[in-house]
Formats: sequence, C-alpha cells, structure tokens
Amino acid sequence: MMSVDIEFDSSWQDDFLHRIENDGPWGNWELFNLAIDVEKHLVIPEFEGLQAPNHLPNLTPLPHQLETAKQVIENMNGKAILADEVGLGKTIEAGLILKEYMIRGLVKKVLILVPASLVTQWSIELNSKFFIPAISQRKSYVWEQCDVVVSSIDTAKRNPHRDIIFKQDYDLIIIDEAHKLKNNKTKNYEFVQNLKKKFCLLLTATPIQNRIEEIFNLVSLLKPGHLGSETAFYEKYKRDARSLNDNEHLKELVNKVMIRNRRADTGIEWTKRHVETLPIEFTPQEKELYEAITTLKNEGDWVQKSAFSVMTLQREACSSREAVFYTLKNMLQKKEDPTPAFEEQIQSLIKRVEAVQKNSKAEKALEIIQRVNDKVIIFTEYRATQLYLQWFLKQHGISSVPFRGGFKRGKKDWMRELFQKNMQVLIATEAGGEGINLQFCNHIINFDLPWNPMRLEQRIGRIHRLGQEKDVMIYNFAIKDTVEEHILKLLYEKIHLFEKVIGELDDILTKLEFGNIEDHLIDIFGKSCSEGEMRIKMENLSSMIEFAQDLKKGDTHAAAGNS
Amino acid sequence: MLQQEIHDFLLNYFQANDCLVIENHPGYLTVQLTVELDKELMNRPFYWHYLEKTGGIPNPMKLTLITNQKQAPEQIKGEIIHFGSPRLHQIFNSTKNLASYIRLYENHDHLQKQTPLLPWLCMNVRISYQCDRKRDVFKSIGLQLINGQMVEGFHDRIQKIQLTPKIPDYSFTLSPLVRPKSGIARIETYLQNIISKDDHSWADEARKRWDQDLRLLNHFYEDVEEESANYETEKQALQEQYEPKINISIINGGLFYLTDKAI
Repeated sequence: MMSVDIEFDSSWQDDFLHRIENDGPWGNWELFNLAIDVEKHLVIPEFEGLQAPNHLPNLTPLPHQLETAKQVIENMNGKAILADEVGLGKTIEAGLILKEYMIRGLVKKVLILVPASLVTQWSIELNSKFFIPAISQRKSYVWEQCDVVVSSIDTAKRNPHRDIIFKQDYDLIIIDEAHKLKNNKTKNYEFVQNLKKKFCLLLTATPIQNRIEEIFNLVSLLKPGHLGSETAFYEKYKRDARSLNDNEHLKELVNKVMIRNRRADTGIEWTKRHVETLPIEFTPQEKELYEAITTLKNEGDWVQKSAFSVMTLQREACSSREAVFYTLKNMLQKKEDPTPAFEEQIQSLIKRVEAVQKNSKAEKALEIIQRVNDKVIIFTEYRATQLYLQWFLKQHGISSVPFRGGFKRGKKDWMRELFQKNMQVLIATEAGGEGINLQFCNHIINFDLPWNPMRLEQRIGRIHRLGQEKDVMIYNFAIKDTVEEHILKLLYEKIHLFEKVIGELDDILTKLEFGNIEDHLIDIFGKSCSEGEMRIKMENLSSMIEFAQDLKKGDTHAAAGNS
Repeated sequence: MLQQEIHDFLLNYFQANDCLVIENHPGYLTVQLTVELDKELMNRPFYWHYLEKTGGIPNPMKLTLITNQKQAPEQIKGEIIHFGSPRLHQIFNSTKNLASYIRLYENHDHLQKQTPLLPWLCMNVRISYQCDRKRDVFKSIGLQLINGQMVEGFHDRIQKIQLTPKIPDYSFTLSPLVRPKSGIARIETYLQNIISKDDHSWADEARKRWDQDLRLLNHFYEDVEEESANYETEKQALQEQYEPKINISIINGGLFYLTDKAI
C-alpha cells in the first residue's frame, strides 16, 4: 500500500504554547463545548451522498437534478458537460454541484462564465436559492477579492481581466452556453483552454451531436485526451461524419463525460401550450399598400435585382406602416444618384403609407390585451413597429416597456424588473436567443412571425420553462392572403411547430442537414415567378421537414429498444 | 441540525458571550449584542473605528434571528436562520475562534484535604481524507502529562466532571513531566499511527483515476511538438484534483487539571 501524505496543522500549537507562557487568555467552557457540538454537525463522515439539499430550504430540487449532481461528483470526478434539454434546470444542477463542493470544503475559488445578459440572473440565483455569495464582475479588483465571480466570457478574455484571471487559482470553473466553444480556432476557445480546470462544468442546451468536430473540441476542452489526440481521432472518425449516432463506441465515450436529461424521462408535468392563430384582414388602405409593393416585383429594373427588398417590404407591410416607411426612407438615402423614376416609385409608396390610418394588427393586439387583462409579451421583428406599438398602447392607457437584444445588461435587468412589477406589456424585438426568463408571464403575441423557426422556439422558451405555473397562451397574427399566411401554414400546419415541446425542435433541425430554413424561405418567396412555383417549392420544403421528423421518431424508437 | 437545535445553539452562544437576551420565544430570538460581539459579527469596522477616534458612546446593535418562520409572529422582522444560512456559519466560525484554547480545573469535593490535580492535554481534531472527494472524522484525544496515558473520546468523558476556571481551594497542580510541546508531538504521532492502519483503498482508487486521466492527457499532447504550457497547466490541475492527502486540523483544545481517578 502506498502511503498518503498527512498534513498536521501546526498553527494551533504556537498560539497555545504562547498562552501557557502568558497564563491566558483562556476561552470559556460553554463556548468550547458549543464549538465541539458544531463540529459534530459539520463533519461529513462519508465520501458518498449529497449534503447540499440539507442546506437549501428555499429549493426543492427535482429528482433528475439531484441524480445529475450525484453522478457528476461521484462518477465523473467533477468534470462534466451538462446538456439537458432546454428548461430542465441546468443552472440548478450546476448550483447543487457547486454547493456540495463548497460545503465539503473542496471548492473555494470559483469562476462562472455566462452570456452577458445572464450575469445578473446567475448571481441572483446563486445568492437567493443557494446562499452562495456570488458577485457579478463589474470592477477589476473583484477577481482577486471575491471567491465566486460571475462574468461574461467577452469581458474575462480581455485585458486587464485576462492577466488577473490567469493568476488566480480556481477550484471550479462553470461555463454556460458552452456550445459557443465548439470552434477551437476562436479566441474564446483559446481562453478557456488556457484556464486551469480542476473541476469544470460545461452547460449547453444545444445537443452537441451535430458535428463530430464540435464534439471533439468541446470534450477536449473539458478532458483533453478523452477522445484521443487530434490526429488519432480524425484517423478513426471522418471529420465530416454526420453525427455521433453513427458510432456506438464514440457515443459511449462521450456519455462518460456528458449528461443529457430529456424532458420525457423526467416525468415532470409541463403546463400546456395553447396556440391560437388569428387570421387578420387588412383595411383597404393597408391592402393597397401591400399590393403596390407586391407589383414592384414585376416592375422597373431597380427592384428586380433586389428581390430581397421587395420581400422585406412585403413583410413589413404586414407589420406596420411605420416599418415600411423607415425602410423606404433608408432606400432613398442610401441610393447614389437615384433616377427620377426610382424617386417617383418611392414617393408614390410613401403616399400610400401616409394613406394608412389604422393598423389592423394593433387593434387586434389591443383587444387581446384588454380581454386577458394580464401581463402580455408582444414580439415583433421591427423596431419601427415596436416604437409605434408603445405609442399606440399608451393612447389606450396601457403601460408597456420596450426590450431589445442590443440593450446593455443593466438595462435588460431593469426592463425585466419594470415589466414584472409595474407594466402590463413588454414589447420585444429579438429576444436575443438566451435573453431573459419571463416565466411570470404566460401570454405571447407573435405580432409578426420570424422566418427562422428556432427564433420562434426561443421566443416561446422565454416563458414556457420550469417555473411556469400556468398554461401558456400563444397568439399568432397573420394577415390573410400575404406571405405571412404562407409562412404560418408551413410552421403551423406542416411542421406542427407550436405543438412541439421545447427542445424537440433543436433535434429536428439539426437532423435537417440542408441548411437554414430561413434561406429556403427567402429563396422560395424571392425567386418564384408564379404562385404555382411557390406552392410546389413550399411543399418540397415541408416534406423534407416531415422526413427529418420521421427520422427523429425512428431514433427514439431505436433508443428505447436498446435500453 | 434541527431548527430547535439551532435555536438552542444560538441562545447558548449569546448567553455564553454575555449578551442580554431581550426576547426568547419559540421561533425567534432577540439579543442585545455586546461591543465585542458586535465587532465579531456585524462587520462594521468603520463605525467602530470612527467611534474610537471620536470617543463617542458605543451603541452595539440588537439582533433578531428567526429560527422558525411558522412559529414567529408575522410582524417580527429579522434574519431567517437555517442550517445553510451564511449567518449561522459565521456564528459557527465565531464559536470556534472564541474558544480555541482552554484551561480548567476539576471542582472536586475533597474538602479540607490537600488534593493533587494531574495535568491533561486535550486536543479535539478533525481528520479530513481528501482527493477529488472528501470525508471527515472527529476525534478527541487526551494525554496525561505525567504518565503519558492516552485516551480517545476525551471530550465525552470530561462532560461528567465539574470544571472551573479557577483552581479550587485545597488543591495543587502537579508539574507535567511531559512538556505540552512534546505532548502535542505525541498526539500527532499517535494519530499518524492509527491513520496509517486505516483502509486506504479510497486513496488507491483516486490514484487510479489520476493515472488514467494523466495517460489520456499525455496521449493528447503526443503530437504537439513544442513544449506546451497548457500541458503543464492541465497536469497541475489533475494533481490538485486527485492527489490524495489527509489533513488534521485542530478545532480546539487545552489543559485540564483533574483528580487522580477522574478519567
């Protein structure tokens, strides 16, 4: 048997001998006894098991979260990729692991790297749910003086922070949204690679089964060599191999460092999603505007070259006249030496914009907001629409706050707070993927629809997550006989998008190896010469999506059969 | 620790530190801190610094601790205390700091008869077995400094004895033949001996995990030609993660002067 080093704390002795010499001071007997009582409560006699839950009266972790924490500590030696499906509480799992290590005295100094928009939220959750004194990094002295620091990776990797961070001795590093580190050529990757990772948790919602290269990079960051050296790995597996599922052995290896809980396995009851699709009629003036834009496609030479602008204008016309006006003005300003014909075209469109007196969708939104008489989030693609809606709602005595991906962290937190405490409506342009959590609200109006289904998924994910106690209501607006209606049909009737549970779409879309849905849609609406062509192309697209869905189902069955 | 145990503990702590207990009800407790305890717990060095400079009248704070929200009246404002709360752990640490060293005498009833008291060295220790996981053992060792007798569970045994900080009448202490310093060394050796007889499979297992990860790491950097700083960092990280070690830390201890038959 090898011997183990024994370290005997000698600091006590010096002071003790000193006190014997000086005849005191001596402590009091009750306190002495109390200290021993305390100690008997604090010693943890077993290597196994979780202590953290006894320390967390404000939190009832779900069984899969406890199981994950135990797995990571006892079988994965504190280095793991946590890849649960969206909304299953990866933050809770990470918090449990962190707390357990802190209680046992194995971890003191901790670095938590998360997207800028989540920094505050992470600190609040660690403080309030876990009683971990986490600090949001705002000043550079924080790195040295605080034990648990939350920061964005973009701040951390820059000097002076970078140099200070490399001087610290971290016991645990947690990285949220770690799928952004899939490319080993980036500065972020290099930064994380250079950090000393004693214990390390990588959190990601996107399954990393996409590309074999991405898996290699992420796993090698966590545990270099787990998948072999770079050369050996690519000799064995083709760089362009489609997915992890192609190789059982590799899958097994990856599962040794990764935990992915699936919604279906957790047995948690999710609140329902109710989707209401509201076809909306244009007013005659709105219709005229839309049609004037549509005819541009066949007119003049200036638009022919940019099918994209026509399409953008069409989509904007379905949102608000303000959005159209803003784009028209831009077109006019940016064009060098506009021909009189071009100017005339734009001016005539602007006249039609001015003729529009009412926004049909805004009226509908108002009706819903007044009916539900509760907090509502409105999503729109356009800033001009956002501004207009704020004004419009105010006219009707309804308070609202704007929200944009471009807001600074502090402003985002403040807006969220305002919405939660004082305002009825939040009007958001892009939620900014991993933006804020708004599960205290359960109504969403999709004022216009994004063409990328993932974005829609992310919108809904803001409110349909763990912690949402009510059924979620989603209202989709689509103007009749416009591009919008086509899109809605595709998303709603063909992909059955809204009926999916969160996360499922990730898997489906990664299976579709034919690129971005949005690009396909632009192609279909921009380049089709006739209604007929458009219809055929749409059908092709939807059958490809259906195919991918079937593949997915096949997978699930196979997996179920194996286990 | 149950909520009731926490309540009792807090009460004992404040009383042992001479704080006036203003209210003590099921569910909560309000105490008037002494100057010393305010400095110890309330983390306001600037206030105390200012006061000492200006010579003002010290105004230590009152502290209300809620140990059971269900029993405490709703209007009571205070800090909610549970086993995981930072305040409780601060008080735990304070308890240890304030009573690390002690010297007591047996308050015997051998009236009017000169009684010799024998010196005992007591050390209460925590032994931590640590690799990428950790477990602890509590031990209380007593060493008689005349004849070198060593006993375990000393703290429990001494609970039955009446003790006092002043030497009782008609008593005299015997000078130790073993000096305290070598006494501590003897206890250290004793602990090392019993630890070495422990089952150390946990350490062997940890070394296996370490070795396994190290082999993977070496393999990963095989093709890298130049010396890589990352390799050294990773190697260091593995050592910190897995290397088994045992730490003995001393919670408290001291000298006890006891009658011949006490232990």
